[in-house]
Amino acid sequence: MKIVTCMKLVPDPTARLLINESKSWIQETDLSFVLNEADSYALEEALALKEKHGGEVIALSVGQESTLRILRQGLATGADRAIFLSDKRFRGSDEFVTAQIIARAVDKDGGADLVLTGVQSDDLGTGTTGVMVAELLGWPHASVVISVDAAPEERRVRVRRELEGGITEEVELESPCVLTLQYGINQPRYPSLKGIMAAKKKELRKWDLEDLELGDDAVGVSGSMVEVAAVFVPERTGDVEIISGSPAEAAARLVEKLRKEAKAL
Amino acid sequence: MILALTEHENQNFKPLTRELLGMARRLGQELEEPVAAVVLGSGVDGLVPELGALGIDRVFTVDDPALSAYSPDAYLAALGAVTDALTRGPDAGPKGIPNSRRPYLVMAGHAGIGPDLLPRMAAQLRRPLVAACVDIEKQGERLFMTRQIFNAKMHMRVSLRGEAPYFATIAPGAFPVSEVAEEDRVRPETVPIELGEVHIRQRVIGREETATGALDFGSASTIVSGGRGLKAPENVALVVELAQALGGAVGASRPVVDAGWLPREHQIGSSGQTVSPKLYFAIGISGAIQHLVGMQTAQCIVAINKDADAPIFKVAQYGIVGDLFEIVPEITKIINDLNA
Repeated sequence: MKIVTCMKLVPDPTARLLINESKSWIQETDLSFVLNEADSYALEEALALKEKHGGEVIALSVGQESTLRILRQGLATGADRAIFLSDKRFRGSDEFVTAQIIARAVDKDGGADLVLTGVQSDDLGTGTTGVMVAELLGWPHASVVISVDAAPEERRVRVRRELEGGITEEVELESPCVLTLQYGINQPRYPSLKGIMAAKKKELRKWDLEDLELGDDAVGVSGSMVEVAAVFVPERTGDVEIISGSPAEAAARLVEKLRKEAKAL
Repeated sequence: MILALTEHENQNFKPLTRELLGMARRLGQELEEPVAAVVLGSGVDGLVPELGALGIDRVFTVDDPALSAYSPDAYLAALGAVTDALTRGPDAGPKGIPNSRRPYLVMAGHAGIGPDLLPRMAAQLRRPLVAACVDIEKQGERLFMTRQIFNAKMHMRVSLRGEAPYFATIAPGAFPVSEVAEEDRVRPETVPIELGEVHIRQRVIGREETATGALDFGSASTIVSGGRGLKAPENVALVVELAQALGGAVGASRPVVDAGWLPREHQIGSSGQTVSPKLYFAIGISGAIQHLVGMQTAQCIVAINKDADAPIFKVAQYGIVGDLFEIVPEITKIINDLNA
């Protein structure tokens, strides 16, 4: 099986985020970046499928130089090779354009049996890019997948998807297909020392705009149909009462209010 | 025209669909665009009268056995059949179809079918999609949407380029349902649309309720939940001790369960359980929409978080901004003293 697994570099979800001066994005200086958590489950699932069925796992990422780190992490964890889609002109691409970049790269690499992504990214968090990749490749997809069972010789994949309210559904789909994987579905392995050493010899291919044969005006801000106007912290709309004081004082005031005011105790 | 894709189960519209329809009606008035609901499924006629009661006067239905279970292929074809019918209607004269009938905006909820289907359709038509919207407005000729990013900690306002149709999914809880006035309740005009031939590449084999063996939060009048802010598994004890002092149940947000700090049956939110206790403590929970939809109907919500901008404070009645590791033990101590 040939499995392409998508990896995205995102700001550390536990970091405190501040808005940049032009109010178009967050301040990225001094911010730590990590592999998008959901993508780590996708990578693990790809490696487990390869162990079972053979084949190869290709780690793929769209980003700037700083993104190379997570591709190396993917190679050290067990991916066989990596594809790095990088071009200054990709900056500011919306989800559709990003999906197009990924779909082009998969095509150029000769297709695949499976493309895996995390269910959503921890930054934009829309969960739409993977689904768009499927449409652009003309493949079926399943989203919010929690387990994957492949039958490569029959060109089909059986997955369990999570619906709302604790309900799951089992779906069989034709392969090649795109799956978006839910958080927490497996225990991602860590790169071993041996893996880190081996990663240095693995192929890491870089493709830019010309390699992907996409037009100048088809990518980045100019190619995007969604244009950022502003990023802001939403105003508190509720009537929350913030209780101040030292921890002991705040605790005492809170209990008092819960008993006398809210009558919740 | 604004099309709102409804979702239903057991002949009932989902709560998010009611939010979507209310929002679509208000937006239709603002934008002076007619609004129509789209109902896809098998045996859906019984659902139409309720749409009228919700003030929706136009309904497109695609009723076909191929739609009895959701599949992206069949549902994409069905929604496509609706938009095609609008752009190629019988009254398309020499000047084409009237503008009011052209699909201008196609919307769905950002849960269930919406985020699985709309990105496919938007990509197919190469039109823009904005997911998890909390606001939509028009300025001049341009449509602006505000969406949640960074787990709802921030909002991003965007404008859409190019021609309609535009696509949007709306965030759960962003558009509260308001009562539909008696005079706005109507008998909708229903337009049935044929599905036609469709090759379906995904087949649903079975469905399962995994919530069996889940904690029965239903009877708990107090729930104390912990989130990512607990930082390490041993700190779950802080939440458990407060819950014990209050005689309540222990809940968790998704990251805590994913990390294995608490079993999955404790999870509250869109993929876990929905609760509505008298008192809810959210400790170290930032308040991602997936969590909020599972607990925002609690009578009294207390949030303790170090980040004053955390969205959990928007649904809380009382908030303490500070270090949960210092604050929570103090609360537990006071409650235990009161109990003694």
